[in-house]
Amino acid sequence: MDVPPTPRILAPHLQTFQHKLVRMVGKVVQLRGETAVIDAGGNVDVILNRDCHLALNHAVEIIGKVDGNLHIKVQAATDFGTDVDFDAYKAVVEATHRHKEIFYDD
Amino acid sequence: MSYGGGYETSYTSYGAGGGAGGGGFLNEGGSQQSPSGGRKFAEESLRPVTIKQIHDAQQQSTDEIRIDDSIVSQLTLVGQIRNISTQTTNITYKLDDGTGSIEVKLWVDSDNIDAANAKNAKLVENAYCRVWGKLKIFNNKKHIGAHIIRLVEDMNEISYHLLEATAVHLYFTRGPPGGGPAAPGGGTALNGAAAQQSYSAGEYGNADLSGYSGVARRVYKHLRETPQSNEGMHQHEIATNLNIEVGEVATAGDQLLAGGLIYTTVNDETWAVLDAD
Repeated sequence: MDVPPTPRILAPHLQTFQHKLVRMVGKVVQLRGETAVIDAGGNVDVILNRDCHLALNHAVEIIGKVDGNLHIKVQAATDFGTDVDFDAYKAVVEATHRHKEIFYDD
Repeated sequence: MSYGGGYETSYTSYGAGGGAGGGGFLNEGGSQQSPSGGRKFAEESLRPVTIKQIHDAQQQSTDEIRIDDSIVSQLTLVGQIRNISTQTTNITYKLDDGTGSIEVKLWVDSDNIDAANAKNAKLVENAYCRVWGKLKIFNNKKHIGAHIIRLVEDMNEISYHLLEATAVHLYFTRGPPGGGPAAPGGGTALNGAAAQQSYSAGEYGNADLSGYSGVARRVYKHLRETPQSNEGMHQHEIATNLNIEVGEVATAGDQLLAGGLIYTTVNDETWAVLDAD
């Protein structure tokens, strides 16, 4: 498979998914040029690439690798607008890990 | 001469029919009608799935694919477009939903390719879309033959879809929700146990006894487990066997009758278990 699975996670799961490719939906709370802070059940530092176009206070879905400092190095970012229900996303993350047989291996 | 002419005419019309994109239709018909003829309606139900579930699906025979041990054909999924390749007869989208990726083929009418392109103009790389289609296996490679692909405009639809896929997965692996934990009143533990039992062992079929009184549950269990004729059992016999007052058995029977778990046979006092299959 050329596109590897990307488990959906929140800030508290970063430790568990260290050095792994993940997917996360959060609200952009701070933009600092090369990096940004998103709120996904806790603040997460993300390291951006040149193709990312994050907008402050918008929800964003990022795909990236969790590094040793629990920052996420972004490979792709998708703007999700301002109408995202974060509680629903939290429920999805919980379902993902509780019933992982239909979401990801190991 | 007339021979040759006739032959040629029919050949031409056959060729024309096939050329107008009819091939897709023929395939469609072939895969829908199984040799045995009588397909169950359940097999044509529309199931929300994750892409991982599609890859984990078990193929039993040529046109029987199972997910969670139930046959699937019509599927719906939500994913992000990773690649688009436009061919003369179809557009192939590679979709990624975070659990894996799969190719989705949308067959297009070559006469209306411009109209099709205009309709799908919003489906660009990295956009999320929802697909309705049929699971196909070609050369041991799974793909989706799409009926409809449309853009996801409200991103909450992604969460909705993943939760719906989880709920349906749990329905097929653990049975329907309700009963056990939500049972009202004092007998919660007992009700919970009864419901659990009916899920796991299937001893009481799919009957959910959580709403019934203790006597009703005993009567139902007794009717289930006692060897009997088609006529079932008389309420006096049940009362004697269980050592319960006839009046209580009658009340329990009324409950079970009202709930559709048993039915009356030769008279109002003789009951048999109603099995769905």
